[in-house]
Amino acid sequence: MRTLPTVQVALDGAMPDMGLAEVARRRLVVRDSARRSIRRRRMAGRAMQVICLIAVPIGVAPLVALVLATVSKGAGAVNIGFLLHAPTPSGVPGGGISTAIAGSGEIVAYAIALAVPMGLFIALFLFERPGGIASTIRFSADVMSGVPSIIIGIFAYAVYVERFHHFSNVAAGFALGVLMLPIMVRANEEAMRTVSVDLWEAGVSLGARRSRVARSVVLRGALPGVVTGNLLAVARGVGETAPLLFTVASPTFAMTLLIFNDATQPFSDAQQTAWGTALVLLALVLILSVTARMVAWTLNRKTR
Amino acid sequence: MNGPIASSPPSPVAGSVAPGAGGDRPDRLRPWHKRRLLPSSPLYAIVRWGAAGLFAALVIGLVVSIVSQSSQAFAHSGISFLWSGTWNPDAGDYAGGTLVVGTVITTLVAMIIVVPVGLGISVSLSELIPPWLAGPLSTSIEFLAAVPSIVVGLWALLVLSPVFATDVEPALEGLPVLNRLFRGPAYGPSVLLASVVLAIMTLPTVVALSRTALGGVPIADREAAMALGATHWQVVRRTVLPGARSGIAAAITLAVGRALGESIAVALVIGNRPAIPHSLLAPGATLGSAIVNQFAEASPGLGTSSVIALAGVLLLLTILVNVVGQLLVRRRGGRRLLGVRGAVV
Repeated sequence: MRTLPTVQVALDGAMPDMGLAEVARRRLVVRDSARRSIRRRRMAGRAMQVICLIAVPIGVAPLVALVLATVSKGAGAVNIGFLLHAPTPSGVPGGGISTAIAGSGEIVAYAIALAVPMGLFIALFLFERPGGIASTIRFSADVMSGVPSIIIGIFAYAVYVERFHHFSNVAAGFALGVLMLPIMVRANEEAMRTVSVDLWEAGVSLGARRSRVARSVVLRGALPGVVTGNLLAVARGVGETAPLLFTVASPTFAMTLLIFNDATQPFSDAQQTAWGTALVLLALVLILSVTARMVAWTLNRKTR
Repeated sequence: MNGPIASSPPSPVAGSVAPGAGGDRPDRLRPWHKRRLLPSSPLYAIVRWGAAGLFAALVIGLVVSIVSQSSQAFAHSGISFLWSGTWNPDAGDYAGGTLVVGTVITTLVAMIIVVPVGLGISVSLSELIPPWLAGPLSTSIEFLAAVPSIVVGLWALLVLSPVFATDVEPALEGLPVLNRLFRGPAYGPSVLLASVVLAIMTLPTVVALSRTALGGVPIADREAAMALGATHWQVVRRTVLPGARSGIAAAITLAVGRALGESIAVALVIGNRPAIPHSLLAPGATLGSAIVNQFAEASPGLGTSSVIALAGVLLLLTILVNVVGQLLVRRRGGRRLLGVRGAVV
């Protein structure tokens, strides 16, 4: 019979004048109790594991249903004309979302023009000047990335729309840029962290100017991460509605606003347009995200 | 190895560095004030400092503009704008109390839904499901973090809301004890629906961040627990979960921040009635949804200022939550996680 040696010692040692049969009986008791214990613990563990596993379909189902509904309802609305025609009033057939696509493109272009260079330079600043100022900037970037987008929209309204007394895509671009900037700064900085400081030193010790080292060493090394992070930030920005709400002149000038506007209308063709626009938007965001990951992958392989 | 520049004593930029000092940060450049400046073009320095300065100006400008624009409302209602009073522009009532309550309730209910589900998924993905399945599953969940909130809102309004009105809400009213929470006619748009939408939207954040935390628990800890005879679940329960506790807390905090600030999708499904909801099936309003609905039609002056004051209250709430979240992340000592907008790179 195989018994744990410690158990044997404890049993035999505790009662020296015990008969062999009694020792064997006690061994069996200990063994059974151990078996019951492991069985009970395994059963409880199984139960908890099943509870955890049940959470997976519960959590994934709405996400899948959401994507499926958007695809199935949007597919009926999207065709070439939908993408190329201007919106028509509800009830007039043949309308499209061309103005919304163009407007969204314009707004995102402004946002990129503001946020991408600023994000790069701020990240370079954080890379080259660690210290109190840098950690303050880093911390405020972290907190800024949690500020609700609606507040950034109001900020853009106060800074631009109220001052110049007109709604404008520039103001919307500014709002999106402010929204994307902290995400880009943090992503760029994470990417630059992978660049060895030794390389930076080597560049400087060769007599290169800092700007040259930043371009040829830091940016070059961090490129995959920088491109990925910026693309993901743009993907976030494209899908934002709240910053545009108080800055864009008409809901037909941005895809997200068009969805917001049409979703609440009781007309089925307006809702159809909303689904179609949602599908276009979803596809755009998906393409941007996938491109971001693929860029990271390809560039990583090239630089290795 | 000491400070990187000091690591090679006959450094080409000799004299620029006091050798041996600054060994406390091996992977970073030495603090700039201890370092003689290396050759740098003035233009580059200006651009770099300018970008940093502009960022600081943006952050300060954001806070200052919200505070200054909301001063009229606070002058009108006093500081009790924050916690008391109702929002009824027609009667001249401008105060945020009911909206703060609505925001807290929806966020709380959303967290009651999302925390167990999110943790269950994270534990499953990181400990129970084999990697060949867990990898694609978590990638797709993380992709869903990128789904624009307006698309979620559209789906919730046009697909989920009718289902709630006909099936889910009547079923909840039939529950034995809990039905005290679910009283009143089933409209569809309700506090409950808004909370469910928030739960769906924050789920990817919770899963991605807490999975990272769970994965960060050292293998040696698990092996030690197994060597003591713990079953698989006991390892998870007694070793992995406690080890990842602060990371999970950070994930939940950041999700709370996101739920507090989400406005568009909530505005579509909450029914927009700025009163304290008597039941979870009643329509309500949150700070974000009220801003969305009221800003365009607010009367100039006090009305606009009051809506911006709502934004100020929201800003205060989210900054508090996010500072706590970031401090939690930092205390963990791991790499900082990107913000709550789901950009988990």
